[in-house]
Amino acid sequence: MPQPSVTYLPFVALAAVLLPFAGSLLSAIAGRRSQSGAIAITAIAGSLLTAAYVFAQVWGNAPVHGQWQWFVIGETPFHVGLLLDNQSVLMLLLVPLIALPVHLYSVAYMKGDPGIHRYWMYLGLFCFAMMALVVADNLFLLYVCWELVGFASYLLIGFWFTRDTAVQANKKAFIVNRIGDIGLLIGIAILYAQFGTLDIRTLFDPHGLVAASVVADGQWIASGRSMPAIWLTLSGLAFLLGAIAKSAQFPLHVWLPDAMEGPTAVSSLIHAATMVAAGVFLLARIFPLFNGTALMVMACIGVFTACMAAYFALTQYDIKKILAFSTISQLGFMVAGIGMGAYHAALFHLATHAFFKCLLFLAAGAVIHEMQHLNKQYGLEIDPQDIRGMGGLRRQMPLTFTVMAIAALALGGFPLTGGFLSKDALLVHALEWGAIQPGLLRLLPYFLFAAAGLTAFYIARLIFKVFVAPPAIDRLTQIHEVGKWMLVPMLFLAACSLFLVFSLHPFDVGRAWLTQGMVPDTLPPTLPAAHTLVPVTATLIALLMAWLAWKWYVKGAYPLRTTGLLYKLSLNQGYLDKLYDLAVISPVLRLSHVLREADRYLVDGTIDGLGRLGRLLAALAGWMDQYVVDGTVRLIGKIAYGLGNVLRRTQTGRVQYYLFTMFFIVLIVLLYQMIIHA
Amino acid sequence: MESILFYCFATVAVGTSFILVSMRNIARALFLFFVVLFAMAGLYVFALADFVALTQILIYVGGVLVLLLFAFMLSNKELLNQLQAGTSHFFALPVWQALTVALLFLGVLLYAALQFDRHEPQWIAAAREAGTVITPTDRTVQHLGIHLMTRYLLPFEVISVLLMMALMGAAHLARKGGQT
Amino acid sequence: MITLTHFLVVSACIFAAGMYAVLARRNAIMVLVGIELIINAAILNLVAFGRYDSTHYGGQVFAVFAIVLAAAGVAVALAIILNVYQHYKTINPEDIRDLKEK
Repeated sequence: MPQPSVTYLPFVALAAVLLPFAGSLLSAIAGRRSQSGAIAITAIAGSLLTAAYVFAQVWGNAPVHGQWQWFVIGETPFHVGLLLDNQSVLMLLLVPLIALPVHLYSVAYMKGDPGIHRYWMYLGLFCFAMMALVVADNLFLLYVCWELVGFASYLLIGFWFTRDTAVQANKKAFIVNRIGDIGLLIGIAILYAQFGTLDIRTLFDPHGLVAASVVADGQWIASGRSMPAIWLTLSGLAFLLGAIAKSAQFPLHVWLPDAMEGPTAVSSLIHAATMVAAGVFLLARIFPLFNGTALMVMACIGVFTACMAAYFALTQYDIKKILAFSTISQLGFMVAGIGMGAYHAALFHLATHAFFKCLLFLAAGAVIHEMQHLNKQYGLEIDPQDIRGMGGLRRQMPLTFTVMAIAALALGGFPLTGGFLSKDALLVHALEWGAIQPGLLRLLPYFLFAAAGLTAFYIARLIFKVFVAPPAIDRLTQIHEVGKWMLVPMLFLAACSLFLVFSLHPFDVGRAWLTQGMVPDTLPPTLPAAHTLVPVTATLIALLMAWLAWKWYVKGAYPLRTTGLLYKLSLNQGYLDKLYDLAVISPVLRLSHVLREADRYLVDGTIDGLGRLGRLLAALAGWMDQYVVDGTVRLIGKIAYGLGNVLRRTQTGRVQYYLFTMFFIVLIVLLYQMIIHA
Repeated sequence: MESILFYCFATVAVGTSFILVSMRNIARALFLFFVVLFAMAGLYVFALADFVALTQILIYVGGVLVLLLFAFMLSNKELLNQLQAGTSHFFALPVWQALTVALLFLGVLLYAALQFDRHEPQWIAAAREAGTVITPTDRTVQHLGIHLMTRYLLPFEVISVLLMMALMGAAHLARKGGQT
Repeated sequence: MITLTHFLVVSACIFAAGMYAVLARRNAIMVLVGIELIINAAILNLVAFGRYDSTHYGGQVFAVFAIVLAAAGVAVALAIILNVYQHYKTINPEDIRDLKEK
């Protein structure tokens, strides 16, 4: 590959990264005057242009690495820099590409919100953090950006912080993400202990340190250092934990459905390109680190998450919740793909998923927006997010229906869409991987097929319920299409959801330019039959499921009892929240209560007691001092005073008085003597 | 006869002294003191101390009393005026504390005196046995002179010096003016 | 027969009278008179007991001494009284309370 002739590329990339941040800062400075979002949109558009330029320069070429010394600790210099390879520039392009429509959409969607100036600020920060994350050239910088992404998402999820549920949700997201952050930090620490550097290129290059390290005699040996081999697995699992939390995999997926409390545009951004993509991106970035055990765990978690979330999505009524579980499920696909070694397919799916999921959310947002409008107009009290209150909207919102249908088809994996390509790529790789796996692991690909089928079903259910089924109430016919500020971004994303963006050939995933840019070195042997069979099978399953959904929801031939165990399990999201509540939150709260009580009564009590004892002693001492010591002194003084006072009267200066006293005393002595001798 | 005379003297001395101390007018009291001193001199004679009685009369009546009168006249002009004008109250009201103490002392002394017979000192009995009691026929003045010049010479001299000092001091004190 | 007891009783009465004068009278001269009475009572006791001492004549000798000393004392006391009178314009012991000069 020819070396790109330009050396200013890192600076261009830096500009792309910093533009949203600058927009955010400007918005922050402008405060309430920046309500139009012009600053933020300009910034993200500029960022998109520069990112596109960088992408065009780097894609398919050798990586560009711009590095500057940051600081020195002892003898160890720390560098900060940008690593621009195919993975990072793809993400670098993807983020503003998704963010720009979201920004435009937000202009209309967030119009009139009293906190909209904050909204632009947070959005800029969010994009900046994610873009910095993808171009970061070392794990430490990546960790910093990782935290920034978490923080920005915290701000955005809790954007409507006056709602209690929003506050709970952003707290939950933040806390759950902290668990993952610990994993990431531990992983980074292990890597630094082993290799002495955090530079991604040095570590994860095909000829990098990680690739050069070997496991021998139960020792993990790399560049003269060694530690027990278990640490290799542990570091992989630690990074996996970070990705699990960030990308909402089981068992740390619980924050994502709750994160729907944020504005819908934010949800679309989180689910498409910024937040959850970070985990998958991280896994792809450090792929060489994972050994067999870690990959196997990753694959199992991914598959389980994909199935579980798809299952949960089946019965949800909240339109955003369905999409949230859909995201979890799709992320499960990606993680499973990485676990099966096909990170190129996973990233491909990440890219296609970014477009259609973003579109789904924006379209759902459009529906919600209009439902709220309807509510306001006619004073209705229907839940704007509940699909049971909708129906037949395709007549009133034909464009929204069209774009959402395209996105749904992409999600369901129907031909001619981007989703078809990436999902089939994943499934094919899964089958190829499964073919060489021992035992039960062979079954994992078939679970993915099942999840794909469930995906087709629940998304068909969503579309049919909202747009096709008979209207729930007559008033719905009064609803109308959204404005062009919201339509244009959706149309753009709909175009991006089609196959043409990724491949000229609508059915052959191997021709997609995107996957060709980053094919892994080692892949399982290809099964030529799978490349034909899998798309056909998957499409057939999807069609079957869509037909089933049609029959159940449009024709009204609903065969299931809503009281069944499986139904309830799905509706309540597997009772995982309740389980966590019981298993983790309640004990922690109880422990906190106990500790608080202990603190209050034992520790504080002891201290209070000591204090009180001290005060008592002091009071006693004070009393002693006042009454015993001082009292004695004062008593002596008083006695002396009284004596003096009494005796003073005798000191009259009258001679006769003295004489009288003298005689009187002599008399007393005499009488005493007399009485004694008598 | 002798007892009657003693009782007369004793009565005069005691009664006059009682009247004396309770008298309001000092000039009269001083003259009564004169009587008391004479009566006391008489009682000394009954104690077979003629020289002492004479000395009493010479010194007290001739010196002390005259001094007292002079002092009285020099100091108590108001009282002199009172004396000339006559006073409405002959006796002063008794001061009860002083009276109490004095009477108690009197009681104690009388008790002791009346008990004296039973507790007579041994030397008195010895003197009575040995016949070294002064008898009315003794020439007491001669004996006194001999003793003063022999046995009591030192006290005599000391007292004479003391007397001189006292007289000098009195003279110094009595000088007019604040010269030191 | 005149016994020692007779003298003692008389001297006790004289003594009590003198003492009363010393304690009660509000005139320095009368106080002095009271002192002389007490001294006379003492002298009476001296001579009364001196009767039983013909060998040394101690009682009578000391009676003479006492008279002389009393006279000297009276002389000094009267000088003091006169000075006091000049100073305070009174000889009432009640009023003479200040030791320092005014």
